[in-house]
Amino acid sequence: MNEHPVTLHVMDDLRRSRLTVFFRGLLVLPHFIWLALWSVVLYVVVALNWLVALIIGRPAKPFQRFIAAWLRYVTTVFAYLFLIANPFPGFTGEPGSYPIELEVPTTPEKQNRFKTFFRILLVYPALIVGAVLFYATYFVTILAWWAAMITGRMPRGFRDLGANAIRYLMQVYAFYFLITGTYPCSSPYVGISLGAPVVEEASAKKAPAKK
Amino acid sequence: MTASPRRLLGLLVFGVLAGGWLYAAHALWRTSVPSNLKLPHVDVSSLVSASELHRAQHFSFILDLFGIGGLLLPLLVLALYAKWGHRFIGESAAGPIGTGMLLAMLGLAILWIAMLPSNIAELWWLRRYGIEKAGYTDLIISTWFVLGAEFLGICLTILIVMGFARLLKDRWWLAGAPVFVGIMLLVTFVQPYMSGLVPLRGHTTLAQSEKRLAAKEGVGNIPLKVQNVADQTSAPNAEAMGLGPSRRIALWDTILDGRFSEPQLEFVVAHELGHQKHNDLWKGIGWYALFAFPIAYLIARITRRRGGMAAPLAVPLFLFVWFAFPTATLPIDNAFSRRLEANADWAALQATRDPKAGQALFENFVRTTNEDPNPPLWDQILFGNHPTDEQRLAMVKAWQQRNGG
Repeated sequence: MNEHPVTLHVMDDLRRSRLTVFFRGLLVLPHFIWLALWSVVLYVVVALNWLVALIIGRPAKPFQRFIAAWLRYVTTVFAYLFLIANPFPGFTGEPGSYPIELEVPTTPEKQNRFKTFFRILLVYPALIVGAVLFYATYFVTILAWWAAMITGRMPRGFRDLGANAIRYLMQVYAFYFLITGTYPCSSPYVGISLGAPVVEEASAKKAPAKK
Repeated sequence: MTASPRRLLGLLVFGVLAGGWLYAAHALWRTSVPSNLKLPHVDVSSLVSASELHRAQHFSFILDLFGIGGLLLPLLVLALYAKWGHRFIGESAAGPIGTGMLLAMLGLAILWIAMLPSNIAELWWLRRYGIEKAGYTDLIISTWFVLGAEFLGICLTILIVMGFARLLKDRWWLAGAPVFVGIMLLVTFVQPYMSGLVPLRGHTTLAQSEKRLAAKEGVGNIPLKVQNVADQTSAPNAEAMGLGPSRRIALWDTILDGRFSEPQLEFVVAHELGHQKHNDLWKGIGWYALFAFPIAYLIARITRRRGGMAAPLAVPLFLFVWFAFPTATLPIDNAFSRRLEANADWAALQATRDPKAGQALFENFVRTTNEDPNPPLWDQILFGNHPTDEQRLAMVKAWQQRNGG
């Protein structure tokens, strides 16, 4: 089972450039500026999208695409900051441009108006879990920074933990911003596909039991 | 047949532009210091003891060596980066402009690493003479934050240059240079608001004198502020900042620590008001604009060999020439700055009509800054953005000879 409308694809090779790892906290600064500017517009769009979804029962397509691009972009910025990927991300959130990629539905789905109206309250439990995962990732990144500086590689466990944290957080945002009506899934096996992953290995270990 | 008239027209346009450039440069170069002013000889060795003079010369000489290193090392590092920096292109998944930004930031990052030992050694030297108070960790942390600001600055630069280059190809400099001048204007305007200036307290007489001098100079109401730097340095300084409504006179708190008398401080304030009276900050922007166009043009020409500024491949070379040109124009920039400073000194003498305060102030500078009052010519050419203490004292003497007092 790997199904959630918002899925993270990890195609990273774990190799890390020591130079960019050392300066990672500063190299991400232009992205933070751009993200802040983009987010100002995003919150206006999200508010309008909420009104549209309440009236017509589903989000507006241009808003959906705009928010989806923002989600893809944030995913790459967090992935870069938390050393989950190596290359410097682009600024447009274009699909197919980064080893850590968020698959987001760009076609709006019909959503329950009652759930839409109370979305800000419904999202709270997931937001709390997401925040815990996020801060855990901060801590793990400090350890991962040293590991990457010494070995030139990202430990797979750290990478997968961070990838899962980002995946969950993006599912939270996607639900919050009405991209999907599906609630975020806290299972590390749902909504993520890893290129050469620890999670797949774990699934493989489980698989014989089914036979 | 058609090439000749076109060439002729090109030459004519170039001639007009060159004439305009020279006229503007001449206008900015002019000062109110009498052109026939002859500076008399001043024996600085009589102001301080032989051992103090030797100490100042030794201190300045080593500081100059750090200064020369600070000019040459970046050029060397960035020249090597211009050759091999393109190898980092693989570290980017961004588009051309994003990749250009990454290459530019990595160039600055490598420069930061290369400069760190020299910066630490320079701090050690300044601490040894009691000029700097900041610790080594403070230096690393502060330069780290400065590097972050530089990253943002260079990203904006790359965005402007590569953005215009993608639209206008090799003619990007025609649009890029005015934008950089505009940014310079904006930075000068907002600087007083970003410098953490606080109101002047406990110097009522000085505040009253500033109001009187400002009225006399006809510069309107310019607030007198204080910049707290005493936890980092003991060097005394003051600054004229801002444009129009943002104009300020900023006195470092180190100059208010009791080492300088009230008349000396008045002279300092008059000097800074002199800068405002003669629109020196505007002149500085004008001077920058004068060089921004030819330098941007030359950068466009030079980076053409790497495919032009639309391609990230040209960014490492761009970074090198971006640093090399200001280094090359440093002597002329310093000469321009010395003229503005001499002009402000003259304005202070005219406004205060108190040469004794001026003389005492500059003599005090010799003792408190530990700098060589009469450095060698090469030092002045490379690093002298103010007249030497000897030249400043000579100007006071020359004013006295003309006006008495």
